[in-house]
Amino acid sequence: MIGLGHYLAVGAILFVLGVLGIFINRKNVIIILMSIELILLSVNINLVAFSSFAHDLVGQVFAMFVLTVAAGEAAIGLAILVVYFRNRGTIAVDDINQMKG
Amino acid sequence: MIAALAFYLFAGFVILGGALTILSRNPVHSVLWLILAFFNAAGLFVLLGAEFLAMILVIVYVGAVAVLFLFVVMMLDVDFAQLRAGFAKYLPFGIGLAVVLLAELLLILGGGSFGVSSPAVSHAPVIAGMTNTQALGSLIYTRYVYVFQAAGMVLLTAMIGAIVLTHRQRPGIRKQNIGMQNARTPAESTSKVQPASGEGVTL
Amino acid sequence: MTTLAQSVHLASVEAILAGGVFVTLMIGVFRGDRSLVPLTWVVVAIMALGGFYLGVVPAAGATGFGGLYIADGFSTFLKVLILGAAAVSAVLALPYLRQSATARFEYPVLLLLSALGMCMMVSANDLLSLYVGLELQSLAAYVLAAFHRNEAKSSEAGLKYFVLGALASGILLYGISLIYGFTGTTSFTALHAVVRGHGASDIGVLFGLVFILSGIAFKIAAVPFHMWTPDVYEGAPTPVAAFFASAPKAAAMGLLLRVAIDAFGGMTFDWRQIVTFVSIASMLLGAVGAIGQVNIKRLLAYSSINNVGFALIGLAAGTREGVTGVLFYLAVYLAMTLGSFLCVLQMRGIDGEPIETLASLSGLSRTRPWLAAGFAIFMFSLAGIPPLLGFWPKFAVFQAAMDAHLYVLAVVGVVASVIGAYYYLRVINSVYFADPAPTFAPADSRTNSALIVVAAVFCSPIGMLAITPLVAAAAHAAAALL
Repeated sequence: MIGLGHYLAVGAILFVLGVLGIFINRKNVIIILMSIELILLSVNINLVAFSSFAHDLVGQVFAMFVLTVAAGEAAIGLAILVVYFRNRGTIAVDDINQMKG
Repeated sequence: MIAALAFYLFAGFVILGGALTILSRNPVHSVLWLILAFFNAAGLFVLLGAEFLAMILVIVYVGAVAVLFLFVVMMLDVDFAQLRAGFAKYLPFGIGLAVVLLAELLLILGGGSFGVSSPAVSHAPVIAGMTNTQALGSLIYTRYVYVFQAAGMVLLTAMIGAIVLTHRQRPGIRKQNIGMQNARTPAESTSKVQPASGEGVTL
Repeated sequence: MTTLAQSVHLASVEAILAGGVFVTLMIGVFRGDRSLVPLTWVVVAIMALGGFYLGVVPAAGATGFGGLYIADGFSTFLKVLILGAAAVSAVLALPYLRQSATARFEYPVLLLLSALGMCMMVSANDLLSLYVGLELQSLAAYVLAAFHRNEAKSSEAGLKYFVLGALASGILLYGISLIYGFTGTTSFTALHAVVRGHGASDIGVLFGLVFILSGIAFKIAAVPFHMWTPDVYEGAPTPVAAFFASAPKAAAMGLLLRVAIDAFGGMTFDWRQIVTFVSIASMLLGAVGAIGQVNIKRLLAYSSINNVGFALIGLAAGTREGVTGVLFYLAVYLAMTLGSFLCVLQMRGIDGEPIETLASLSGLSRTRPWLAAGFAIFMFSLAGIPPLLGFWPKFAVFQAAMDAHLYVLAVVGVVASVIGAYYYLRVINSVYFADPAPTFAPADSRTNSALIVVAAVFCSPIGMLAITPLVAAAAHAAAALL
């Protein structure tokens, strides 16, 4: 029987994949943005699973707003990326050495 | 049995899609794997009885966000091979870190007592005989109207931001001027000529 | 249960700001970028109107919108700070925007949207309204960081800020999902009861709390989530850096106080350890990291990290005196940091190019003696030298820590103040005692000069007159929370 724990495991694996993606693709901002989408997807799986197993709709409402905000966030992120590319001709983050971290 | 099978199918593809999103050499492939992950996550949502969110995930995420990613990947002329440098260097350490984090998360998630299983604290119980879409609609336009409006402001911000950052007014572009088009009359835009035969017409 | 009309009345400030966004956006769209200056003043007027309504609407801890929103003395105090700092940030940008040819009308509109998000943050009484308010503020801030879109440094700052900010939001959200799952609620009121009941021993709730605190720590730029601060402050346009250092800090700090004390009041023992660690690390790293800096904006970034550490001492105490100290600290900090950034904005060479390196500040005391004097007041005040105003909030949080028997924290705080004083005094040294290098341009804006004078008088010993009413207001606000 598939229980809450199974769904939460999927969520946890996706979350870790997202964090890992940011960590290993340090140079490639596009993949970093996609990793952030993966993290948000994992949050949504968690919220919907909790909501469904508790017969409580708050989690689904929350997931809906997370989806909305994440769409806006992706739009802003890609816009900033495009501007950065126009200025620098690359999207590599490690090339960000005008300022020392 | 069928439900379990469907779960493992969807869950497997979500994880596969997620893993290949971050491991692919080509960002276009990454976006496609991301789309696969979204589709299968939508499948999981259906299994959980959240049909509306499943639909939204496909429409908004696959239809808009992933396509936006695809646009940007293809629009920017980036040398992707160069971006892979350092990938192998971080991979072992990254995977080690990931395994630790995952083990920790599974440990808490596995051994936890979930408060949601006690209906005493439920704020928006699922109403019998109401479809998922109806139930969500009856919540977001009433109890959550504040957040609903705020989400509208978030989207407005995203719109303003994207326009501020990327919109450029290029000189020398001919734009459609609807006012001028509507103001044109046959009298000023057409003329009647009677060319003499054998001389051709002037334009 | 409040009706919708009552709820909207309760949230008058947010309603006014949201309406103001539409009005200013429409004016801007139809009038174009030449409307920047009038629009800025319209935005200031809207914020002032919102501030006026804060006084009109009773704020006695009433919740609205089904418990998603709360208006109490705490939120009112912070909203006054936020609106004031945001209005100053809008005005101080005018000369800069004009000179750098990025005079676009969206600047004040985005500031207004960000202010709206911040007001929602400090009035949040549910994890859902917390998240949406935080994102509204952050999204506008990401755009502002990259606002100078033809300059590589600015878009680089925007990109860094965005990537790390989005990651922080993701971590915060994962924490929220755990909290929702393990307690079954997202409302602060219900969380308070659940956590007090049995949740404190639950490891899932603890993990959720850690994730949430990490996300908020990023927003207030506390160690270990501070890495973005110096880069973003240096790369973003200076007025935007001034904004980042002021209003969003106050809002995120208010949010942290409410989440820690209100929602997780039953887990004080658990979060106190985290907050203590973050506070000590921020104070020390902020002070030590600033020493090697040669750019004045990076230096102010480290100064802000350092100051957040001091403010967190009050939260670690967890008492009413501690919270009063934090609020008092925030009020004084906003004046000091906005004043410093106003001075940095004035530092331009004869050619109009901004002067940002510490070494070239040496001409300041000869060519702009009054500006140098004002800057010196802000630096001394930030260092916490006794007769100046900056000393008193530090004293207040130290005392709260002593009363709560957090002696280590107080001692580390004093040590960090001493280290911090070194680099503030180094700035003074290069302004007054180094060989004069370049000549500075004269003041370019009467408004900004007036703002510097007001802030400098407030931070000078004369400002001690303001301590009594300020502390009384902060204590009233803290009473709403504890």
